[in-house]
Amino acid sequence: MSGLVIDAERCIGCKRCVRACGSAGIEVRDRLARPTAGCVLCGACVDACPVDAISIVRDEPSGGHDLESYRDIWVVAQPCPDGGVERVSLELVGRARELAAPRGCRVVAVLGEGSGAGGDAALALVRAGTDEVLRCRDDRLAALDTEVHARWLVGLVEERRPETVLMGATAFGRELAPAVAVRLRTGLTADCTVLEIDRATGQLQQTRPAFGGNLMATIVCPGHRPQMATVRPGIFPVPETLDDALSPLEAEALRARVSEVGLAPDVAGRVRVLERESSAAGASIADADVLVVVGRGIGSKKNLPLMRRLAELLGAELGCTRPLVEAGWLEYRHQVGQTGVSVSPRLLVSVGVSGAIQHLAGIGGAQAVIAINEDPDAPIFGASDCCVVGDCIEVVGELVRLLEERG
Amino acid sequence: MRIIVCVKAVPSTTEVKMDPVTNTIVRDGAQSVVNPFDSTALELALRIKDERGAAGEDVRVTVLSMGIPDTERLLRDCIARGADDGLLLSDRAFAGADTLATSYALSCGIRHLGEPDLVICGKMAVDGDTAQIGPEIAGLLDAPCVADVRRLVACDGTSLRAWRGTDAGVELVEAPLPAVMTVAKDAAQLRMPSICGVRASLAAPVEVLDVAGAGADPERCGLAGSPTQVVRSFVPERASGGAWIEGAAAQQAEQLLQIVEGMGL
Amino acid sequence: MDVPAAGMKGPVQQGCTLIRHLTDEYDDYRHDESRSQGEAQSISFPTTEDEVRAVLRELHPSHTPVTVQGARTGLAAGAVPHGGHVLNLSRMNRCLGLRRDDGGAFVLRLQPGVILSELRKYLKAKAIPASGWDAASLQALGELREAPEQMFPTDPTEASACLGGMAACNASGARSYRYGPMRPHVVSLRLALADGDMLALRRGEVVACGRHLELATELGRRISLDLPGYTMPRAKNASGYYVHEGMDAIDLVIGSDGTLGVITELEVALMPVPPVMWGVSCFFADERQALDATCGLRDGVASAAAIEYFDPASLDILRVQRERSTAFSALPLLADDARCCVYVELHCGDEREALDALDRVGKVLRDAGGSEAATWVARTELDRESLQFFRHAVPESVNMLIDERRRTDPAITKLGSDMSVPDERLHDVMRLYRETLAEAGLESAAWGHIGDNHLHVNVLPRDMDDYRRGKELFGAWAREVTAMGGAVSAEHGVGKLKRDFLKTMYGEQGLRDMARVKLAFDPAGQLGRGNLFDESLLEGGA
Repeated sequence: MSGLVIDAERCIGCKRCVRACGSAGIEVRDRLARPTAGCVLCGACVDACPVDAISIVRDEPSGGHDLESYRDIWVVAQPCPDGGVERVSLELVGRARELAAPRGCRVVAVLGEGSGAGGDAALALVRAGTDEVLRCRDDRLAALDTEVHARWLVGLVEERRPETVLMGATAFGRELAPAVAVRLRTGLTADCTVLEIDRATGQLQQTRPAFGGNLMATIVCPGHRPQMATVRPGIFPVPETLDDALSPLEAEALRARVSEVGLAPDVAGRVRVLERESSAAGASIADADVLVVVGRGIGSKKNLPLMRRLAELLGAELGCTRPLVEAGWLEYRHQVGQTGVSVSPRLLVSVGVSGAIQHLAGIGGAQAVIAINEDPDAPIFGASDCCVVGDCIEVVGELVRLLEERG
Repeated sequence: MRIIVCVKAVPSTTEVKMDPVTNTIVRDGAQSVVNPFDSTALELALRIKDERGAAGEDVRVTVLSMGIPDTERLLRDCIARGADDGLLLSDRAFAGADTLATSYALSCGIRHLGEPDLVICGKMAVDGDTAQIGPEIAGLLDAPCVADVRRLVACDGTSLRAWRGTDAGVELVEAPLPAVMTVAKDAAQLRMPSICGVRASLAAPVEVLDVAGAGADPERCGLAGSPTQVVRSFVPERASGGAWIEGAAAQQAEQLLQIVEGMGL
Repeated sequence: MDVPAAGMKGPVQQGCTLIRHLTDEYDDYRHDESRSQGEAQSISFPTTEDEVRAVLRELHPSHTPVTVQGARTGLAAGAVPHGGHVLNLSRMNRCLGLRRDDGGAFVLRLQPGVILSELRKYLKAKAIPASGWDAASLQALGELREAPEQMFPTDPTEASACLGGMAACNASGARSYRYGPMRPHVVSLRLALADGDMLALRRGEVVACGRHLELATELGRRISLDLPGYTMPRAKNASGYYVHEGMDAIDLVIGSDGTLGVITELEVALMPVPPVMWGVSCFFADERQALDATCGLRDGVASAAAIEYFDPASLDILRVQRERSTAFSALPLLADDARCCVYVELHCGDEREALDALDRVGKVLRDAGGSEAATWVARTELDRESLQFFRHAVPESVNMLIDERRRTDPAITKLGSDMSVPDERLHDVMRLYRETLAEAGLESAAWGHIGDNHLHVNVLPRDMDDYRRGKELFGAWAREVTAMGGAVSAEHGVGKLKRDFLKTMYGEQGLRDMARVKLAFDPAGQLGRGNLFDESLLEGGA
């Protein structure tokens, strides 16, 4: 019988599990934790237990899945409007190569594009290191209709049985992946930031942020294949490729790795696109490479120009916390956090931000965080690589001066 | 017209604290709330109901959830705001579900309710962030899916038109009904209940079904029906603390400059 | 006697290192939320009672005027300096201890600079910074952690106010309808006098004999005084010294606008958060219905903790700002036919009681000609926040409107009234406001604590002529409201801006009586100069 199991020998009755539970699913009686009818097996108590007394036991999956017959790592490539592929697709090819090496399997890219598409996308995938590109050129695939793509991929997966399927966690990927997984009745882990593979079993260790980056969870899919994951853009590097022009022979060899596949005639989309609008370029904090985020700790609206100057000198966009938007200091589009925009810059400079959990939820994607705050106990420091305790106006004033001197 | 809105109970995030010893989230019995994205989904459903209702059409909005018995409280709150009735899937056998098992259970609930014209889900839940439930339900119902709706333009009983987010920007799409739609949080703001609504919510029917009642296959529900397993959760290393830059403001700024320059900025 | 004139350039005392020149970097400390500007030569930021006393002792021999400041959120310019020294208490922001009184209630001892929003945060998290606390306090803190969540009931709109300032002006807020103003929740306080001597006052310990009060300072000075002879109105009141026969001495200090001494420490009583708190916004087609509903709610809904009103003009301004400003786009959308709004907050023991109260509210609405459908019932944290945002957005959006007008004429400011009348005069005072505003052709927006018949009627001047006529109108209202048995300042205090109204209310003799009280505490007239009455009344000293 599967369920929550408590080791009575280990349990010390500390009630941490009770406090961690969101559904009154566990209680402590006579200094021993006991699951209640409310338990939803979310695992929060398992992690909260300081003495490892709680575990979730599950029945072994009953029979039938011929895991051994699945092979190779697939990367579902996303074509972009200019005829190439999205950067994240190449990043995934790079990571897939690394995972495939110890496993001794191939890396296959799957590319669905319109019939008029040039050969650039497939070539880019081959040059990034795929062993094979399965390409379907069909106008029904041109519009990135998830239903059409899903039905095409499902057919292909059922036929060729990849062990692992990876997609970029783009808007398209995040919609397509579940549409595929549900039809294949297999597991899918969204928004992974770390991928490792078990050499022997090929089992993928998929690590993703939960609770807006405050917790990381490692997830596996032991009994089903393919195992599927979407991966956040910008996590892995794009594999280095030689930009040199190819000799005709080399080009021929690369092209030979592209196999054309078909799309069943009965597959048709039902969602019609009537009109498109591309988002205004630049000025979006979501895509910013460098971000200066200001909070209430900057004290007064009159300090905003100094912060803007800092952003300007760093080539950064300006973001802020919710109270500043509520106070009308900055517009909503600047708001970083759970109720605002999630950001993933290379560098985030956080000024006068205390770090409410809702805010931290939005900055989990930042690669490096420098925080300047007067309160050494501010939660923002727990999420920072560089912690500066001090008067943020003074420190920023000095930093601006230095940056200006540097020219 | 029949609209089903899927809602999830999530921990109230205004209260989230961390246990410093085990580095896990302390919920401390904080009452759960309706996932904010799902609140938006409900508001869009209610707007369709208002609009079609004004045109004389009978629109029924049902809120559907899978959760512990206490979730009924949240469904009744949805009813207070204008939904007509609710269905709660609650059974120990639903526990431990990943997104596949969850969307399967919800699709059983939807089938139990009959043929809906429209299923609306929040784009994602604030505690899980997976954004998988809507597209998976669409797959299970074999219905077209319009994800990440930013603005609903029209829904007339045979088709819907909406602006939705894409990687390149936004696009206006049209889909025939029945369809599944997932909505961005800021697409609308959920209305508040009126006194009449509160009163109605006390008397309104909320059906509670177990696995058998929902006509679900127990093998595809809960822990048993979940292909994925969480093997470990931990606090990201960065949260264990970064480098502390000491000294007077000028010295701190000096060091920051070096760090920034070191990053090639 | 030798009192330096306001604005005189005096030398800054050298003896006390706490006292600094008030240079331009301290510009912020020349004003408060009233937006009026003052002048001072020096400033200090003491962190302890001893430091306060050291500063006062330093300044006393030269009779230097001292203006006490807290968080500078006041609207009556009570903290705007009037020459001399600014004694800023914002760094006295520690919680000092906790105990339980005989009835089991928690009593928190604080420095005056503790910010209300911080206090709320501490109480919500059940985590009060307790460094340096004695064992008994720590024991009480342990009990607080186990007890149901506590609150401090006084809720001025500006939550960044500090507790000392709130006591000094006897602050109130929406919930004062049920819990009264700050006064009853202050259990004890310590007052530094102008010469650095201390007065410790604990509720119930020193009471007046008739209208005569005898006090003894810690250094043994005896203060013997006769209280003013005026009778206070039967309405919510923050105008002038609080006096009545047989009163508690502590109540004289609360609401004294920093004119008697410097509060260096206070004890406030906490109370458990009501288990169920629901907010109900009720919308009406006209103001008459809203007034009738208010009376109905007062009579028929015992669990009402706040009854607030927003008039048609203020809702219209809100509609405009909601469209214009992204900060306000998250406001709940008002129905087109919602002309005005009465907000009632229900504090109940359990949900059944709350549902019963909700039914009563519904009946009141129907009786007043309103509709149960045109209501917002906030039962969740999120909805309550949303309604609070809505209520705070009203004054905010009016300020934005005025800021726009100031761009063309910088001299314009909002004129806000703060008057209250007894219950039975509510309809009368509203008629007075409406008729006289219409006669004068002035734009206005009104909102506020209608449960206490206490509205902030704001004149929104389009030009200086409007501004002048608005001021005249307020003077006329002060006379009428006094005649109705009301108060010229119900909440914001008198400060420096409403002295004329105070004269209207209590007459010349009343002011002279008050000045006499002040001089008994502060013989050289150093503290809070310009607050309550003109300094000419202090000439001649005690």
